[in-house]
Amino acid sequence: MRKLFLLFLILFYAGNAFAQKKVEQERRIKKQELPESAVDWLHDAFDGKKKVRWYLENSDKGTSYEAKFIWKNKFHSVEFDASGKIQDVEVELTLQELDAVVVKNLQKYFSESYRDYKIQRIQIQYTGEEEDLEDFFDDEKKDGITVRYEIEYLGKPKDGEQLLWEGLFDDQGKLISKREVEIRIMDNLIF
Amino acid sequence: MRKSIVLFLLVNLSFGFSVFAQEHVFFTGFFPEVGITKKLKNGNKVNFKIENQEVIFRNSQEQEDRWQFRHYRTDLMAFYDWKVSPLSSLAFGLFYRIQDGTNSYRLIQQFALLDRFRRFRVGHRFRLDQTFTPEESTEYRLRYRLAMDIPLEGDAVDPGERYVVVSTEPIFSLQAGEFGLENRLVLTLGKLISNQQKIEYSVDYRTDGFFQEGFRTRLWAKIGYFYNF
Repeated sequence: MRKLFLLFLILFYAGNAFAQKKVEQERRIKKQELPESAVDWLHDAFDGKKKVRWYLENSDKGTSYEAKFIWKNKFHSVEFDASGKIQDVEVELTLQELDAVVVKNLQKYFSESYRDYKIQRIQIQYTGEEEDLEDFFDDEKKDGITVRYEIEYLGKPKDGEQLLWEGLFDDQGKLISKREVEIRIMDNLIF
Repeated sequence: MRKSIVLFLLVNLSFGFSVFAQEHVFFTGFFPEVGITKKLKNGNKVNFKIENQEVIFRNSQEQEDRWQFRHYRTDLMAFYDWKVSPLSSLAFGLFYRIQDGTNSYRLIQQFALLDRFRRFRVGHRFRLDQTFTPEESTEYRLRYRLAMDIPLEGDAVDPGERYVVVSTEPIFSLQAGEFGLENRLVLTLGKLISNQQKIEYSVDYRTDGFFQEGFRTRLWAKIGYFYNF
């Protein structure tokens, strides 16, 4: 009985997570307003000249800091928690830059789940411990690094209307979760 | 990039002023507008809008015709907007203009498309309209508006935050075999008061009569209130 209850609870929350909409509020902040550890980590992992824009973000997951910058011609965004501890690094890529296996699995997912789809943005996401992440970006050591893909896409299911989604895929390109992305009101651009 | 946009606008405006100082028609005034948009359960939208134009200054030769506060136009419009995708829509609109005894009707068809970038959004609006004025030939117009929506705090506009919209809209018209061209350059400073309400302050600079006698420029100080529910 208890197991059944637990199963229901898990299913309930899983369903909830699935239906969740993305709510985020961010504002630009100055370097001085940040926890020092965040600035230091970024300086160590990406040692070189770059123009960084810092943001304070409030979302359903809590408060975090985000650094956005171009590094080796690629758009990077690095997220830190409220105390300044590194959470993840996301790098924007094109479909052509992904491994063949990943592309194959992604295409399989999209073509099986949707009648029509269009990829809007692909980000590879690296998570891991502070030192492991630093070693990865410094020395390309892959130990302790989890790779995932965050993909924003327009998808029209076989029955239903087209929506904008953000899907999280594992390192093989298999879907973990997805959520609907809400478009901010655009009346002033329509009427 | 923001600097270059401001510079572009200033150059445009100063050019406009130097032209009007000669023999061209110029007038300026106050342009309040109110828009209400209702999102329907099926994802489509209904929009109502009222615009009012009051002339304050006209570059007339007659001294007594220069400064004034005269009603120029009141426009009432209603749109039904069909969602095509999360980023595009088709709309059909009805329009009624009250203007100094020559009221007119207009039918509007449009397609709007949104392009999203990391730090701003670009809206494309393609519009066809037909204006019917008593004792005049029908006027047909083709318009394309390109608008850039730039958040001023963060990469997205959240409630309580401000944004800038820069737009340009060339309008091609045909009436009784005569071809016309107009352009509307608008610079807007907006504030998203809440998820439902927006207030916008704009400078709307319109140039027309390029091919006809009487090149005309109109400069409007706009204030707009927009409500969504």
